[in-house]
Amino acid sequence: MNLDYSIVIAKFPILLEGCWVTLQISFFSLLLGMIFGIAGALCRISSNSILNSLAFLYVWIIRGTPVMVQLFILYFGLPQLGIKLSSMTAGILGLAINTGAYITEIIRAGIQAVDKGQMEAAVSLGMNYRQAMVRIIGPQAAKICIPPLVNQFIMTLKNSSIASLVTIVELLRTGEQLIYTTFRSFEVYTTIAVLYLIMNSFFMVVADKLEKRMARQ
Amino acid sequence: MSYIVEMKDIYKSFGDIEVLKGFNLKLREKEKVVIIGPSGSGKSTVLRCINRLEPIQRGSIIFAGDEITTKTDLCMLRTHIGMVFQRFNLFPHKTVLENIIEAPTIVKKMPLDTAKDIAIQILDRVGLADKQSSYPKELSGGQQQRVAIARALAMSPKIMLFDEPTSALDPELVGEVLLVMKDLAMEGMTMVVVTHEMDFAREVADRVIFMDQGIIVEEGTPHEFFANPACERTKMFLKRIKH
Ligand SMILES: Nc1ncnc2c1ncn2[C@@H]1O[C@H](COP(=O)(O)OP(=O)(O)OP(=O)(O)O)[C@@H](O)[C@H]1O
Ligand SMILES: [Mg+2]
Repeated sequence: MNLDYSIVIAKFPILLEGCWVTLQISFFSLLLGMIFGIAGALCRISSNSILNSLAFLYVWIIRGTPVMVQLFILYFGLPQLGIKLSSMTAGILGLAINTGAYITEIIRAGIQAVDKGQMEAAVSLGMNYRQAMVRIIGPQAAKICIPPLVNQFIMTLKNSSIASLVTIVELLRTGEQLIYTTFRSFEVYTTIAVLYLIMNSFFMVVADKLEKRMARQ
Repeated sequence: MSYIVEMKDIYKSFGDIEVLKGFNLKLREKEKVVIIGPSGSGKSTVLRCINRLEPIQRGSIIFAGDEITTKTDLCMLRTHIGMVFQRFNLFPHKTVLENIIEAPTIVKKMPLDTAKDIAIQILDRVGLADKQSSYPKELSGGQQQRVAIARALAMSPKIMLFDEPTSALDPELVGEVLLVMKDLAMEGMTMVVVTHEMDFAREVADRVIFMDQGIIVEEGTPHEFFANPACERTKMFLKRIKH
């Protein structure tokens, strides 16, 4: 066995650049995914049957197909219809659409887990639907949603490695390029694994702090 | 004679189950009415129809002279009708004070300071002035229900509806809630109370109503009602809840 991490260490700045791209993809797809998810959840609980069905369809299609296929449709498929997206746009949009479907379900479940008596108490006091959602139901649902949302954030960060398949040079792709030149598969892949772990641990710590802070209420 | 609430020939069903079948109720200002009846007889539904939490299929509801049966803007109406629930339904993410000032500041746009002053006065009335910065889960059931009453009172309602306000409480905590309700009755609040606390009914009610299967079976002053119930069903029910 001859393990040699010195090559990895020498090329570490390149890997960090890969991390940066991974973080960017993850950040923007999560941001967009949250917007899709909140909108999707509000549609899912709305009494408007068209919005409701559209959101249902969205979740059904996305959850039932592989994220890789979704990205390929956006990046390799759409140009055939004359819509050409840059690899970064396709990557972020694809991941956002994907994670948004899961977030829709998380937020819908969170809102529905809030005791029905809360909405009744709020409207009995004269609040309208929007006031009750924003001030009474929302904060309680948010608390319920944090653990599954953290899971979903972690999932999305890991899924960002799939963006390497639409030619985005993120962490995994950076590592693979390093392997072509150094032939150090084990060292490079284990280093990448550790870097993913560190990034995800950051999420976990922040989530933990947030949960503790909300625990008193 | 003017009424604050008039329910005329109300029909209400949930799907195929008909819950109210031609229900009538007229309520004068300052009147205290206690509704009793077996489980599933529609008592909660009656209260929930008054503030339009439940839509009805037929009949008409008049509140303070206004026809509200098909009214669509319900927020204003509901500010006049205080509701107290069996399970309190306090907002768990807000302190006692925040629970009480929420609706006055958000719905009535009352200045924060004014709302706080009023809230503290009302908390004092229900004996919880020292609990204003506690969270609901830090309070006993009896205290939570008193906060819920305070929260409803902060909107200065014209009428208060109570849906079994003490039946989720440990027996030793029932008294403190009934005491607050008696005070309120003494101050002249119009009240509709669904309860199985017969002593409360005797002491406070102007009228006791016995409901069964979606209609009023019998009603009368507490004295008539408890001493000489006319209907067989009423007699059986009263006998049953005594044990
Ligand atoms: N949201 C609902 N959907 C379907 N059925 C309902 C609903 N709410 C009430 N019901 C039914 O309507 C009937 C009357 O209910 P209601 O809650 O008014 O009775 P109640 O007299 O208050 O009974 P309890 O003493 O158990 O509180 C019951 O048979 C109940 O199952
Ligand atoms: Mg009931």
